[in-house]
Amino acid sequence: MKNKKYYCLALILVFSMVQTSYAQLERKLVNKNPDVELTFEAPRNINLLTVEPLGANNLHWAIMHTFGTIDNGGQNLWGIDNGANIRLSFEYGISDRWSVGFGRSSLDKVYDFYTRYHIIKQKLDDSTPLSISAMLNYAVNTSNYKFLGTENPTFRQRSSYFGQIMLARKFNKKLSLQISPMVAYFEDPQDIFLNNSTEEINAALGFSGKYRAFGRSTFTVQFIPNLTNGLRPNVGIGYDLEAGGHVFQMYFVTGSSLNEQYLLSSQNGVVGEGFRLGFNVNRVFSLGSNE
Amino acid sequence: MKKILILFLIWCFSENALSQAYITDDGSIKFISRAPLNEFDGNSSYLNGLIDLDKNLVDFYIDLNTIKTGISLRDSHMRDSYLETNDYPYAEFTGTIENIEQINKQTLQRGLKVVAKGDFTIHGEKQQKEINGRLKLNDEGKLILEAKFKVALKDHNIEKPSLLGYELADVQDVEIKAILNEK
Repeated sequence: MKNKKYYCLALILVFSMVQTSYAQLERKLVNKNPDVELTFEAPRNINLLTVEPLGANNLHWAIMHTFGTIDNGGQNLWGIDNGANIRLSFEYGISDRWSVGFGRSSLDKVYDFYTRYHIIKQKLDDSTPLSISAMLNYAVNTSNYKFLGTENPTFRQRSSYFGQIMLARKFNKKLSLQISPMVAYFEDPQDIFLNNSTEEINAALGFSGKYRAFGRSTFTVQFIPNLTNGLRPNVGIGYDLEAGGHVFQMYFVTGSSLNEQYLLSSQNGVVGEGFRLGFNVNRVFSLGSNE
Repeated sequence: MKKILILFLIWCFSENALSQAYITDDGSIKFISRAPLNEFDGNSSYLNGLIDLDKNLVDFYIDLNTIKTGISLRDSHMRDSYLETNDYPYAEFTGTIENIEQINKQTLQRGLKVVAKGDFTIHGEKQQKEINGRLKLNDEGKLILEAKFKVALKDHNIEKPSLLGYELADVQDVEIKAILNEK
């Protein structure tokens, strides 16, 4: 009987202790295995698109710029005096995986319309070891060729298409690599266009890399060997500076092309002497509310 | 013995007594960066909190990965370069209520200004902080907390973007709002 009483008392004491013996909350992560982010610092790395997505309702605005070759030195201010190619582009995130964009390059006054879809995203715990995205584009050359005294090419003759699959992996905080099999198709690759390939089909591999050396400074590379048309590969080395979501990209590159079709179908300079200075300014805006 | 027991039980389950501990896992937190040319805010509704009136313990934390500013690339850079959430995933506050003696059922039902004093930690750097807030007990017996405080980036070794220094305010305003349930 007495035992029972003590037993009851003990129970009650334990019970009241359970109620109050409560210190700090246990710290728990909301998402224990998130997607890897910042495989690249921006949706573009030098001239090539990457697996880096745009968020839903985000608008990415970019100015891309390449100058003349630097081999004439200071007389031409290392190519800045020479005709530049400028590309303006807007890309809008419909969802966290799907975006659509358009751009215009001054070289041949090419308008392009493209879409990216992020099929697979690399996971932090490596259960998914790489990210895979796909991109398609349609472009049209809008230059006026009346001055040649001939008929202007038709809309179809000015049209070209491009597709690529982007496979990328972020190896660690510093190093990311991407390989992208890509193909461009021209309806009618005419001599009057300012690219150099006479092939309708131009296939290439695109290699993109970044190495985050220190702080927020990142070194970037691109290498685009052509597989079909015998043109010299496009080679680029660059530097990304990130500042609170803005990314400023400077690079040296062996070609002036800024849109995908022309990157695959234009002759590139020899590494070392045919380099040009280029830069991209990237800004991302939000078009939705974040509440 | 029996009497004591009964008294104890009555005390335990007394309707008039305040509950001893209140808890939430879906409070909202907002930071506002007011820089001359750029104002933006970040929001999360994953604020976890505990207010234990019996022990006089206030304990709140937020998983910083859940904060969204509306621009996902900015969020990624914020997590990666500035808050470094892989190493320091939480912002936390643990402290005590300075004016705990003023707290009883009547004052809480009217709504009461409270001051919590304790350690605020973010980016692995701890700082002593006094946080002013307001507690109110609603008709459903839930405790509503509203508080505002400031976080200076340099106090916690959080870097600022250097290229466009005006992008981010040196001192961030933080607002929290939470409805805590009886534990």
